[in-house]
Amino acid sequence: MASFEGFEYDVLIVGSGAGGGMSAHILTEAGIRVLLLEAGRDYDPVTETPMFQQNHEAPLRGVSTSDKNFGYFDATIDGGWQVPGEPYTEAEGTRFMWWRARMLGGRTNHFGRLVPRFTPEDFNMADRDGLGENWPIDYDEVAPWYDRTEKLIGVSGTNPDLEDTPASADGVLQPPPKPRVYELLLKAVTDKMGIPAVPMRRAVITQDLDDRKACFYATGCGRGCSIGAAFQTTTSLLPWAQKTGNMKLVTDAMVKEVHVDENGQASGVTFVNRLTNEDIRVDADRVILAASACETARLMLNSKSALHANGLANSSGQVGRNLMDSLGADIGGFIPALKGRPKYNEDGYSSNHLYIPWWDNEGQKDGSLNFTRGYHFEIGGGFGSPGMGVASRVDGYGKRAKDEVRDLYGTGIGLSLRGEMVQSDNCYCEIDEEVKDKWGIPVLKFHWQWSEQELNQVAHGLEWGKKIIEAMGGIVNNPDVTPQQAIKAGGQIIHEVGTTRMGDNPATSVVNQWGQCWDVDNLYIMDGGVFTSNPHKNCTLTILTLAMRNATHLAEQMTAGEAA
Amino acid sequence: MSTVYNPKMTRRESLKRMGSMTSVVMIGGIAVACEAPQPEAMTVDASSNWPGLDFAAINENGYGTDPNMISPTAPWPRTLNSAQLDQVAVLSDIICPQDDRGPSATAVGVPDVIDEWVSAPYSSQHRDRVQILNGLQWLDDEASRRFSSSFVAASDTQQIEIIEDIAYRDRGDVPEFEHAVQFFSRLRRLVFGGYFTSPEGVEDIGYIGNVPIAGDYPGPTDEAMEHLNRVIADLE
Repeated sequence: MASFEGFEYDVLIVGSGAGGGMSAHILTEAGIRVLLLEAGRDYDPVTETPMFQQNHEAPLRGVSTSDKNFGYFDATIDGGWQVPGEPYTEAEGTRFMWWRARMLGGRTNHFGRLVPRFTPEDFNMADRDGLGENWPIDYDEVAPWYDRTEKLIGVSGTNPDLEDTPASADGVLQPPPKPRVYELLLKAVTDKMGIPAVPMRRAVITQDLDDRKACFYATGCGRGCSIGAAFQTTTSLLPWAQKTGNMKLVTDAMVKEVHVDENGQASGVTFVNRLTNEDIRVDADRVILAASACETARLMLNSKSALHANGLANSSGQVGRNLMDSLGADIGGFIPALKGRPKYNEDGYSSNHLYIPWWDNEGQKDGSLNFTRGYHFEIGGGFGSPGMGVASRVDGYGKRAKDEVRDLYGTGIGLSLRGEMVQSDNCYCEIDEEVKDKWGIPVLKFHWQWSEQELNQVAHGLEWGKKIIEAMGGIVNNPDVTPQQAIKAGGQIIHEVGTTRMGDNPATSVVNQWGQCWDVDNLYIMDGGVFTSNPHKNCTLTILTLAMRNATHLAEQMTAGEAA
Repeated sequence: MSTVYNPKMTRRESLKRMGSMTSVVMIGGIAVACEAPQPEAMTVDASSNWPGLDFAAINENGYGTDPNMISPTAPWPRTLNSAQLDQVAVLSDIICPQDDRGPSATAVGVPDVIDEWVSAPYSSQHRDRVQILNGLQWLDDEASRRFSSSFVAASDTQQIEIIEDIAYRDRGDVPEFEHAVQFFSRLRRLVFGGYFTSPEGVEDIGYIGNVPIAGDYPGPTDEAMEHLNRVIADLE
């Protein structure tokens, strides 16, 4: 058994976000001792979340800046599209954006808490269109783990009996909040178009759950949640793991290399203490990497040795390859008929109460659509806390302009496409041998290229988004935008996965279905890197679910004395 | 040299005070004070009379990537001189006057918001800084050309005559006013943004969220539903 500062442990985990947090919870509950290393600083949402602070209290009324890319009150600390002193590079012609957070709990502190499930077909899309690879596991295998994960983290939503929204078991979901006016208006028109608008499943609880309090319908979830209503590992999995007494947590510990023994098995890691700039080497019997898809790939590619000349556990050459994000494109406008509508508290639980799941699988199967993967629309609008853009549509000056701002408040509508891209050999990350970060660690270089599949999908989304807004009596902001203009950069939706994909074949995948590296028996990957494809369903739920399933498998093997 | 912007100041009082400061305002044709930004270069665009002053980026620290979110502060010093601040005050109340539903922009401190904004060490704020400082200068130049006065010292009627020429986006088609229209459009967004994000503006616009609700989210009120149902009926 390895030890660090007098603490003995069985498993070393790198990363405290969705994958690392869930792994720590499952293992410590099973009586397994864990050393958890987090690159960012310690963070306590209970005392640090800006609950109720309003825009006027923030510098620049809270708008986005290069220091806080999602606005002043976003939970992200020491991160965003750039981390100070920790660059990444893009190949010529590539646009890729990489969101990182250097804080305990990682990106779970600010994520949208949108947690749809994959469908049965999502695990086998290659069978349908011949593109990419099938997963080595199927929906029936994962479904009970989805149930357990949803129950554990707390998910509100419904089972609307649609192909794109597989049902949870009875008693798993909490009730969703009532829809709001702009969502009901949208639903009224989409119902007639044969397009569903149903409650979005969100990892926000509407009823108390263990020591977490039900949402009180104020304060945007992106700020984090001091009462634990919006799921993040820092108010749930991590404190639970610590409570067992089986975990030692080390923050400001940026892992730079995984070491191997003479048999090529993982033997420990070296991390930089970010406060002292000191390298510290620790031993490990088993290592779980959950640093995020790209950070894990970077760490593996930077861990070269005689037995792993190509990077750790990379005999397949697939580490860093198969990088996928969700497609993103926005279409928006405003609804003149909503001018001056009656005011009420429309905060709700901030993000979608309703959304539009993918509705035209049939069109793809019968070949009438020119793209093969689906998307969903997230819906924005409402009487939000006024921001600096409140007068963006207004012309002129004086009383008339002031009245126009008031009239237009709450008339906006936005549809955000979130779609599935097809795995591509043109989208990957590798080590940039020319550039190192401030810790001396070689950085990632990204390669990215959208294909016709994605552009055709965005074209479809823009067309239907426009139809929906116009059917609501709306005026579309930018009706002539092209798919090339509308499509977001790779990485911009912050759903990066696939860089250490799972499969049945060691020659074409990095890990097996249990997240265990083919090449290194005692090395496991529990983040989004293991995804074989990236369905349009926001990835965090499936990261959590696979981590729960695979950490449980590991714990069972260890308890039975079978694990490496 | 500096005067403290007084958010309670009425437009008339500010006009009076500015009358005594005209000499300061017009020194060198550029509004300057000891703490004022110094223009680095000047590109004269004769067709539009746009000053085209260039300004160095603010070289101060931002609030950083780990600011105090519970008790926020903006660490950078403000840079508008008193003449510029008073000019912003006059413009703020032209754009957003007091009316039957809410106070004026100056009454809620909008010029302070704009001062913090144009003084911030971030790139998008720097772009606004260049546009707004040029716009303020253009207004003074234009008032000087038309009325031999600074903008602030001009009469209400004279000020409005200039504003009417630049306040509407379609005026941007007039080459003479192209830049000034863009400036005014940007300033309007900032003024209304500053006003409607203030506590008084939030109340004015009718935002009634940000309060904790015990139990289930109540959803739309009956009145809101009746309105929605009429909107839906009208679509058919």
